[in-house]
Amino acid sequence: MTSRRQLLKSAVLGGGAGVVAATALGSLGPEAAFGAAAPDVEPGAPDPDFAEGRIRSIKDNTLLVLGSNMVFHNIRVVDGTSLWKLGPTSFDQARPGDGLYARGVRMPDGVLAAESVWLNIVNIKGHVSNITSEKIHLDHKGQEVLCHRVAGKSIAVYSDAPPSADLSLLRVGQHVQILGAWRPDTNEVDIATVFSPH
Amino acid sequence: MYGIAALQPYVIGLFLLWAALMKLLDRRMRAQAGQTALGRLVGSARAVPALRLVGVLELAVAVALLLPPALPVEGAAAAVLSTGFLVYLTYAHLAAPASSCGCLGAHSRPVNWRGFARAGLLLVMSLVAVQARLYPVDPWLVVLGLAEAVALLGLSAELDRHWLMPLRRLLVRLRKPLAVPSSQEIPLEVTMRLLYLSPAYCSASARLTSDVQDVWDEDGLRFVVYAAGGRTAVFAVPLPGDDPSAIRVALTDEPALI
Repeated sequence: MTSRRQLLKSAVLGGGAGVVAATALGSLGPEAAFGAAAPDVEPGAPDPDFAEGRIRSIKDNTLLVLGSNMVFHNIRVVDGTSLWKLGPTSFDQARPGDGLYARGVRMPDGVLAAESVWLNIVNIKGHVSNITSEKIHLDHKGQEVLCHRVAGKSIAVYSDAPPSADLSLLRVGQHVQILGAWRPDTNEVDIATVFSPH
Repeated sequence: MYGIAALQPYVIGLFLLWAALMKLLDRRMRAQAGQTALGRLVGSARAVPALRLVGVLELAVAVALLLPPALPVEGAAAAVLSTGFLVYLTYAHLAAPASSCGCLGAHSRPVNWRGFARAGLLLVMSLVAVQARLYPVDPWLVVLGLAEAVALLGLSAELDRHWLMPLRRLLVRLRKPLAVPSSQEIPLEVTMRLLYLSPAYCSASARLTSDVQDVWDEDGLRFVVYAAGGRTAVFAVPLPGDDPSAIRVALTDEPALI
């Protein structure tokens, strides 16, 4: 890992630039950059390169996931797969019961080779009904969601100000949007980002 | 005991009077009647007439309770009304769990235990009121009456923004439960928000095929690594920094993972 990091570091410090020159990508046309990624999926049809659901079991590097539409997915996690669980994390943090969204490439045998996996990620809006020690009580359509601040991870974005680790400007009664990681089978969430309109 | 019974018609009467006047006069409440559980029960077109009918019933019972003489039938009428509230709340909880009850004011919170407790308290008070006789005023009864009124108002979620929210705001200001952490460490999300704004990220984002694969801090820089198709995109973000244009990016052929 260290030597890979050194390689990448020297690449960005030696040859890195403020922007990626189009020629470095092989084409100057925007249609090449965006057209290549255009999904070849019928509107309304499920995207074969995407999966969502909850982990039923983990075997070696494969996740068996039951989708909310009761379809099973086999998701293979490889060295290059990015995993998110309140931030970039490693494969050993995945647990049965975790909810996930995964994107990757569907193999001929039906396995989804994942490029990215987001574990327990949630995006909820609501009103701050109370603030207690290290917790925001969120009223989300009448349901209480307990949102925990995680030291060193949780941040707040107030309107268009630069983001900060300071959550103390949040007020009881205000509207917020919270991006975070759900604690499976509870009404609790660890906060990644709180968006406040002011 | 007779004193307590004699007190109840006034507390119930004033409470019902308030509820009736809200239903009959509050324009916002009428406007939202279709979205309450009452609208679900009778159909949203008939929600406003139904709301008015309940308001008139409450007003009639309230006036009867407040005006002498105190008759047992008045307490019984209030008990019937309270039972009706409980049945209605049960219906709302089961059939329209996301709707508000539309009891005392316009708000969007669904029926919860406080609504049941309030209706239950009203029912108990109404049953006691059946025993009401003429009774001399006693300071202890005034205290009890005030306590009952506070309990009824405290159980009314419609009033929370007038007392509960300011109280919680005050407590938050005093206790500072989310005080700024002392740690100087910059959360990754702060870096990520800056990164998303940078010309470097914008020029490379169409090529990124994964979320963050690896992050580390070194020499005052935070390195963030993504997969970009068969290659690797690496960003160098100055720490601490607030200038997105200072972020550098390189696309490299994937070095072997070791």
